[in-house]
Amino acid sequence: MTRIPRFNQHCDPGVLRLAFVTPLLVASLLLTPPAMASQVNWSPQSSERLVKLPTNYLKKSLDNDFAQSSLGEALSTSEENISLKGSTLADLQQAIASSTGDVRLELRHEFLAEKRAYLDMMTERNALRRQHLETKRNLFEDMLDHLSQQENTGPGAEEVIANQEAALERFERTYADVDRNFFSNSMAPESRYAQQFTKNMQAIEQLVARIENHKLNASSMGEEEIPMTRKEHLRRLVSDAQAEISIIEQEETILGYMAKLVALDAMDLADDGLDAELADSDVTRSLQPATSVSYFLNN
Amino acid sequence: MLIQSFKTMLMASAVIAFISTVAQAGTLENLERERAQTVNYFLDSNLQPNERHARIEVSKRRLIDMERMVLRDNSLRGKTTPIVRRAFLNYDVTFMAHSATEKNLTMLDNWLDQFSVNTDSLMSAKIGRR
Repeated sequence: MTRIPRFNQHCDPGVLRLAFVTPLLVASLLLTPPAMASQVNWSPQSSERLVKLPTNYLKKSLDNDFAQSSLGEALSTSEENISLKGSTLADLQQAIASSTGDVRLELRHEFLAEKRAYLDMMTERNALRRQHLETKRNLFEDMLDHLSQQENTGPGAEEVIANQEAALERFERTYADVDRNFFSNSMAPESRYAQQFTKNMQAIEQLVARIENHKLNASSMGEEEIPMTRKEHLRRLVSDAQAEISIIEQEETILGYMAKLVALDAMDLADDGLDAELADSDVTRSLQPATSVSYFLNN
Repeated sequence: MLIQSFKTMLMASAVIAFISTVAQAGTLENLERERAQTVNYFLDSNLQPNERHARIEVSKRRLIDMERMVLRDNSLRGKTTPIVRRAFLNYDVTFMAHSATEKNLTMLDNWLDQFSVNTDSLMSAKIGRR
């Protein structure tokens, strides 16, 4: 009686590993969650100080704050690791092209495993980038709210502001006349406040002129070189952050397709391994009853 | 180099934070106190005319400075507290020193005028029992 050999008796260990490990690889690719919950964070606050920062300086200040945070450090490390992993993939791809037989099979398996690791790292990095951009977008939105609150301090504010502007306008219009009338009819010298105020105003005017010409105080320029207000600049930053988040979503789709390709390649590799093993096997390919009829015709 | 620039940035932030916390406090309250004192001089029947005039002149100099402090105080801009709301509702009453000098009137005349009390109305008034 012909004994049907057990599968693992004649199997090459490499092929055996492929047969068991590759399905696991495929399963893990399909079951891996899109992004691991991150323990790192960056929590900038929409403070009065931040709202008052010159628009050109705001972005640099935030970038610097982010780079110092645990989220910034994690993103930087992740990008370095991805760059190294990219080099590993390139090396493996070259090695596969110049190899044959079992070594090639082994290298293809290694290549798949490295591609899977690369995708994991890219997914994790995108999760960090998304966290960064969402935090930034929320911050800019908070700053916009802050700015709106400052501009509109509550019901009735418009009426108060209108009255204040009218009062200031009347004061400025009559300021010189008041001084002339008062001091010509009075023996009293100008008050210390008035003297000091005039002196300080000259100093203030010089400082204001220097501030207006300072490069970091220059208004941000929009399209067609139109200066933007602080509110417009913040709105632009919010939409930039949103645009980057949309790009990340598109990148996640690309990573999804890459993962699917790795899974299909892994199944293909497992299939190739099994085909090669079966071709060398002693097991009869056809086990149809009709082919064994001769065993039963003679006693 | 990085540490140096970080320190510089921290310093800049601290300076900006300082600027943002600087605010003039109580300019309007000071003006209101001085104005109340001036109105007391207007109405104090124990004061002799010369003494009243001298006190009001001193008050006027102080009021001119205080009124300017209030008008230049940016921290009051858009504030909807009752005291700010009321203060800017009537320039002639709140900024009585400026208003009077602008109109070339005494502060007392200008102030009474705001309540429709003037020489003509006083002269035509009759003493009687209500």
